[in-house]
Parts: sequence; C-alpha cells; structure tokens
Amino acid sequence: MAASLAWFVSLQVYLPIAEMSVDAFLLVGVGFAVGWLSGLFGVGGGFLLTPVLILLGIPSTVAVASGANQTLGASVSGLMAQARRGNVDWQMGGVLVAGGLVGSVAGVQLFAMLRRLGQVDAAVAIFYVVVLGSVGMLMVMESVRAIFRRRRHGDAHRLHNHSWAHGLPFKIRFRKSRLYISVIPPLGVGFVIGVLSAVMGVGGGFMLVPAMIYILGMPTAVVIGTSLFQVVCVTASVTFLQAIQVGGVDIVLTLLLLLGGVAGAQFGASMGTRLRGEETRALLGALVLAVAASLLWDLLRVPASLFSVGPAL
Amino acid sequence: MLLLLAGGSWLAPASAQPAELVARLSTERVAITTAFIGESILVFGSTEQPLGPGGDEVIVMARGPQGPFVVRRKVNVLGLWLNGPSARFGDVPVFYAVAGTRPAWQLLPEQVRRERGIGIDSIPLEFTGARAPGFRRALVELKRSSRLWQEDPSPIEIAGSRLFNFRLFLPSTVQPGSYRVEVMLVRARRIVATEQLGFIVERTGSAAEIEKVAHGQPVLYALLCILAAGFAGWAGSVVFRRG
Repeated sequence: MAASLAWFVSLQVYLPIAEMSVDAFLLVGVGFAVGWLSGLFGVGGGFLLTPVLILLGIPSTVAVASGANQTLGASVSGLMAQARRGNVDWQMGGVLVAGGLVGSVAGVQLFAMLRRLGQVDAAVAIFYVVVLGSVGMLMVMESVRAIFRRRRHGDAHRLHNHSWAHGLPFKIRFRKSRLYISVIPPLGVGFVIGVLSAVMGVGGGFMLVPAMIYILGMPTAVVIGTSLFQVVCVTASVTFLQAIQVGGVDIVLTLLLLLGGVAGAQFGASMGTRLRGEETRALLGALVLAVAASLLWDLLRVPASLFSVGPAL
Repeated sequence: MLLLLAGGSWLAPASAQPAELVARLSTERVAITTAFIGESILVFGSTEQPLGPGGDEVIVMARGPQGPFVVRRKVNVLGLWLNGPSARFGDVPVFYAVAGTRPAWQLLPEQVRRERGIGIDSIPLEFTGARAPGFRRALVELKRSSRLWQEDPSPIEIAGSRLFNFRLFLPSTVQPGSYRVEVMLVRARRIVATEQLGFIVERTGSAAEIEKVAHGQPVLYALLCILAAGFAGWAGSVVFRRG
C-alpha cells in the first residue's frame, strides 16, 4: 500500500547526514502512522519509529540519533499542555532528569564504543528485543489480569504503595507527588531510562510511566506530565551528545518524520479517548511484543549476506 | 561518399597531427542537492580510425576519491548473528567504473590492465585484519551490488564508426570529491592514446549547508537540531490541533 502510493507520488529527498536519498512521502507516512499509534496509546512512539527506520535501510546510527531528536519534537507540545494544567512535578522531574542526563552521557559513550567495535546494529536490536520483550510481556500480563479482576470485582486499585524504595537514605519531600522518599530510586530510574534513550533512540515513556507508578509510587495525575518533562530533557541531551560525538542526527529526516508525526498524533489521540485503559494497554503490549519479535527474528535468521561494508572509523 | 572518406584519410597525415582520440564529459560538476537521486554523466568523443570489430576500441575508466573501508563478517554467537572478524581495506576507490566497446579483458593483456588498474580485478585491495580470502570477494560484491563499483554495466556505444558515447551512472550514495575519468584508445592490444578528464562531485544548497554545519560546528548543529525539532513539534501541534 505504502509502496504503491509512493510509486504515484514520489519525491526523493537527499538526507545530508545519512548520505542517501529516500522518498519524502514515505517518511512523512511513516511519521504519521507512528504518530497515530503513539497518540492512540499515549506514548512517544520512538520505540516504533527507530526500528521502522532501520527496516527502511537508514543506518542504525542515524536512525537512533534522529529517532531521539524526533521524540523530542513529538513530546514538546504534550509537555506544554501538561504544564499548563499543572500536572508536572518539577521537583521530581528535576531529580529524574539529573539521573537521565548522566544516563544519556553513559549511553552515548556506550553507543560510540559499540560503533567502534562494529556492533551497533546487533546491539541496538538486542536492546530492543530485551527491553521491548520484557516490557511488552509485563504490559500484556498486567492488563489481562486487570481485565479479569474488573470482571469479577469492578474497578479497584491502590492509591499508594509502600515498597523497598521507601527504606533508603537521602529522603526528600516531593510536595506535588505527596511523597517522602529517598532520591536514589528516582535518580536510578532516570539513569536507566537515559541509557536506554541514548542507545535505542527513544524517549522511554513506555518504561518510565510504569516505573513512576510502581517503583516510585507517584500519583497517576502527575505521572504523564512529569515523564514528558524527563523525555524532553533526556532526548534533547541525547540529540546533543549524538550530534557532537557520533554525528548521526539528520535534521531533514527528523523534520520529515515530525511533519507526519504531529498530525498523526492528533488523530490518534482523538481516537484513543474512546478506548478503555486496560484494553489499550493490552493492545500496546501486543504491539510492543510484535516489534520485539520481528527484531529477534532478524537476529536469529541466517542473514542474506554474511558480509557488510562500512567506512573505517 | 566512399571516395570522400577515402580522400579524407588520404589527406589526414598531411594536416597538423590530428588527435587520435578526443573525449569530453557532458558535465564537470555534479551537485548533490536535497533532491539528489544519482546522476548520469555522458562520456563522449571521437577517434581518427574507425571503431568496432577489426578496428580500434575504446575503454572508459572512472575513479572516485580513495578511502578506507571495513568489511565485517557475521558469525553466529549463541544463536544470534553478530559481526565477527573484520578486515580493513586502507585505500580503495569509493567509486570505480570501467567500460569498453568490448570488455577490457578481451582488449588488453593482463599485465597492462594490472599496471593501469583497468577492471575491478586490477584494483589493488590490500587489507589488514582477518586473514581470509572471502573478505576481498565480499568487498567487491557489496560494492558492485550498490553500483559504486561497475564493470561493463553496458558497452560503449559506437555511432557512425568514429563517434562513441558512454553513460556513466553515479548512484545517490556517491561521495563528494574529485573524480578522474580516463578514456583510452586501444589498438592491437596496446593503449595508443589517452584522454584525462575529470569532474567534481560536491554538495550544494541546503544539503551542503547542513553537512557543513554538522561537521564544522557540531555544537551549533546539535543546538539547532534541538530547537528545530522542538519548534516543529510545537508548531505542528498548533496546526493540526483537533477540537
């Protein structure tokens, strides 16, 4: 479908950093589709975008760096809307971002090292398989359980849960989130998301949101806004570091994807309000698992060509 | 007509040393713009003596800038296909093409082809790293399939026995730099005349500007990317806002 459409209306555009020409309409279309899904499910969509770019033949280094750059653009308006409504816990966000910035620095170093070793493609795929596989599995299991629970008891959830995270030192009072917890768990969560953001070219919202609810015990009202704050800051940091250290940010690619992405997100969001929470999460989990499975298949099957050539670094 | 031609060749030696071979390119500058999808350059010219079977033959050889490349071989580690051993080719042409009125191996002895680097087999491919002959073959195959190395993509066309032309195709992945085109006249398995031509591939317009800023001032470029994406995201959400 996309291919036949592209045949009729094809506008080849040269990506100056990727050093290749790609169909602009195809990129806008991919951006729209991913934006639509992300609007539907309320996630950033970077975890779909980067693998699709790699499948289209964009080099992994460009796909990851430009994916992070696109996620930054796609998250800005959401953050502004949430901030206007007062749904951002800036204090908690600040701690998460502090961890996230350190994580993004570490992640880009790891990425640059993997590139020198010639293992970027496989490493990005393995990160995706492991992270998306486990997150997707958890999402599906959790939402299926919730759907069954609802059928039996009606809606029920805990407001607040006390976990091991409450026993650590360096406690701070987070007024907005009504929490008095150690800064170590949010720093750690921020750090891990930062590393993943740098290596996978994602915002990490799909992992950050559950971590904020289940590990930090934040109230759901401020979770989305605060996670968007972290996503915007960390993807900005990843964009910056990837651009100066690896040189993979292709602004033409980013802007074409954003053009489709912001339009698609608005359509998806207006449709998503009609879906129920658990069903949405089960669908999203299935989608995440499908992406993980296709990347795993690429790692497992005998490659079409055993050899690859690239410029020496 | 026949008489006229015969008369012409009779008079030829008398005139001031006519060139055995004249060749030109349709352009000396290839611009990589944001709309670049590859380009064809016409290599054309004429010869003194008739071309074709029994007569003279022409070979066209084009070479891009040299560069280092790494060829990697995938190996299976615990069921996963990862990049394993690699070989580094220090100095090979980024772009290479050769074509003739007939394939070069039919026209010239191997020693001459090797000396002049005519034919993909004659490109010196020194490499360091993994010691296996497969790497050299893999580099050639990958370069050929991406059309960055071409050997006899199509024969040089002959028109009216003294005019020849060849369409040199540059794929969109071609690198900027200066390219050399050598047109050789072959007679009796010897190169009797050579024309040295050249063209430049360069980025122009916004593609050039973006690339220049990205490599020359990476910090500025990084900040611009952050601002541009942020602004585009915000502006887009205003434009496409529904309800």
